[in-house]
Amino acid sequence: MATLADSFLADLDQLSDNEADAPNEVDLEADIMDEDVDGELADIEALNHDDLDSVSKLQKTQRYSNIMQKVEEALQKVPGISNAETNLEDDPEYQLIVECNALSVDIENEIVIIHNFIRDNYRLKFPELESLVHHPIDYARVVKKIGNETDLTLVDLEGILPSAIIMVVSVTASTTSGKPLPEENFQKTIDACDRALALDEAKKKVLDFVESRMGYIAPNLSAIVGSAVAAKLMGTAGGLSALAKMPACNVQLLGAKKRNLAGFSTATSQLRIGFIEQTEIFQMTPPPLAMRACRLVAAKSTLAARIDSTRGDPTGKSGRDLKEEIQKKIAKWQEPPPAKQPKPLPVPDSEPKKKRGGRRLRKMKERYAITDMRKLANRMQFGVPEESSLGDGLGEGYGMLGQAGNGKLRVSVGQSKLAAKVAKKFKEKSYGSSGATSGLTSSLAFTPVQGIELSNPQAHGSLLGSGTQSTYFSETGRFSKIRKT
Amino acid sequence: MSYLLPHLHSGWAVDQAILAEEERLVIIRFGHDWDETCMQMDEVLASVAETIKNFAVIYLVDITEVPDFNTMYELYDPSTVMFFFRNKHIMIDLGTGNNNKINWALKDKQEFIDIVETVYRGARKGRGLVIAPKDYSTKYRY
Repeated sequence: MATLADSFLADLDQLSDNEADAPNEVDLEADIMDEDVDGELADIEALNHDDLDSVSKLQKTQRYSNIMQKVEEALQKVPGISNAETNLEDDPEYQLIVECNALSVDIENEIVIIHNFIRDNYRLKFPELESLVHHPIDYARVVKKIGNETDLTLVDLEGILPSAIIMVVSVTASTTSGKPLPEENFQKTIDACDRALALDEAKKKVLDFVESRMGYIAPNLSAIVGSAVAAKLMGTAGGLSALAKMPACNVQLLGAKKRNLAGFSTATSQLRIGFIEQTEIFQMTPPPLAMRACRLVAAKSTLAARIDSTRGDPTGKSGRDLKEEIQKKIAKWQEPPPAKQPKPLPVPDSEPKKKRGGRRLRKMKERYAITDMRKLANRMQFGVPEESSLGDGLGEGYGMLGQAGNGKLRVSVGQSKLAAKVAKKFKEKSYGSSGATSGLTSSLAFTPVQGIELSNPQAHGSLLGSGTQSTYFSETGRFSKIRKT
Repeated sequence: MSYLLPHLHSGWAVDQAILAEEERLVIIRFGHDWDETCMQMDEVLASVAETIKNFAVIYLVDITEVPDFNTMYELYDPSTVMFFFRNKHIMIDLGTGNNNKINWALKDKQEFIDIVETVYRGARKGRGLVIAPKDYSTKYRY
């Protein structure tokens, strides 16, 4: 790239020369850009090339053949007990395993590239297939199986794809817009498929090898998830140290396939679970707890991977402890919740009341206090039958309410103490009222005793008290109604 | 349900139970475990025993096994429940006329808890007679 100074100079040139040099400048920069892009886009462009070999180079490399040869040799050998005393990094077998891990990641990438190549070619024949079958190896197998066949009923996809997908594929194929490929292209595509499958085989072999040495490389991790899954996790992550650096949530997703559900619900399909679902612990867990168990296993296996990456515990004891912990936890989840204990009642009046006196409480008490009218209705005069709503003692009794001599059918609302207080304050403040009684209270009462009775409304205060005082039960009351004359 | 509650097997044990309890109400059911009325009462007693254990303790006494109190407390009914607090018999006005005891089977747990709470409150204040929150007189049955 042109440096900053250059561009400034160019600007100055432009200013001084007035666009004379401008085309040159642009050309120069464009050249530089081209070089950069060429480097980066080399493989992408190559994808569209006709030649497969320019796309996938891995199989031809010296490194690939070397490692594969070593792996095959090692697989033939009985896995001897390596001398654990030597430093791990120096052990040739460990080196091989590290290389294997790197290689398996490379193979994975290579498969993706070849997959792209196959897709690009096969798109002309069956454009919808790539959206129906996501997995590269499955795709390659299907492509190889279908080939240039137009009638899909003649092709048996059983064993390659799940039956639901097979149905969708065959239905889609019957309406597809694709045309059979020309012979040359078709041959290349099939070659590419073969190559992808070969790479897959190679990857499997590498994984087998890594798996067989797993107890040595990652004793703790393989104690938790088993050596097969441990090898797969390591292979996908790209080595033990890469796995150790990975957060647990990503470990959980390692190996998760993108699946086509063909319109079925996502509720039961465990989309977010990778290799962990192949572990023994996961298989033993009931489905409702599967997701939780998966998270737990992922978290613990990450810890185990970290222990292994530092060779913290070559005996694998921590791994077994972690596994036991996981199993205990899952067992605990399945226990029914503890029975509810009855809670004993508190001792009555053991704690002091929270509510204390005060203006607001006083006001509330006043508001809900029993009224004078109700008080009268609740009382009976000794020796006097009460009035009742239906007469003859039927219905609701009125007590002392409205009885002769009482002088009250309707009891006016007594002035509240609070109101009195306010009124007093008010009076003191400004008006010198005469202190006369309210004109609204009537002193006229119609009672069952025919006639009009006049009474002093102010007397009702003392009369209420007389409700009890005049009776037999009052302190001042007399036993006999006959008074001394 | 009588097997869930502690039994007292002698007069001395009954006395000790009443005497020893300082802070809690002592509730004693006199009767027979096999008696139908007692069974109903025990059902309620056993179910509330845990709930009211902070302020009351429940014992069962077989009046055939322990006849010492039969004359003193006039235990002639199939089931009798009595309340004691600090070695004092607490009477309850239930509206039935007999203030000394509950001599029928109460079938409602909450009613029993309410009675116990009321008795406890009254007894703490030094009352010898408390008024039950509900009137059990026959007046309300008809």
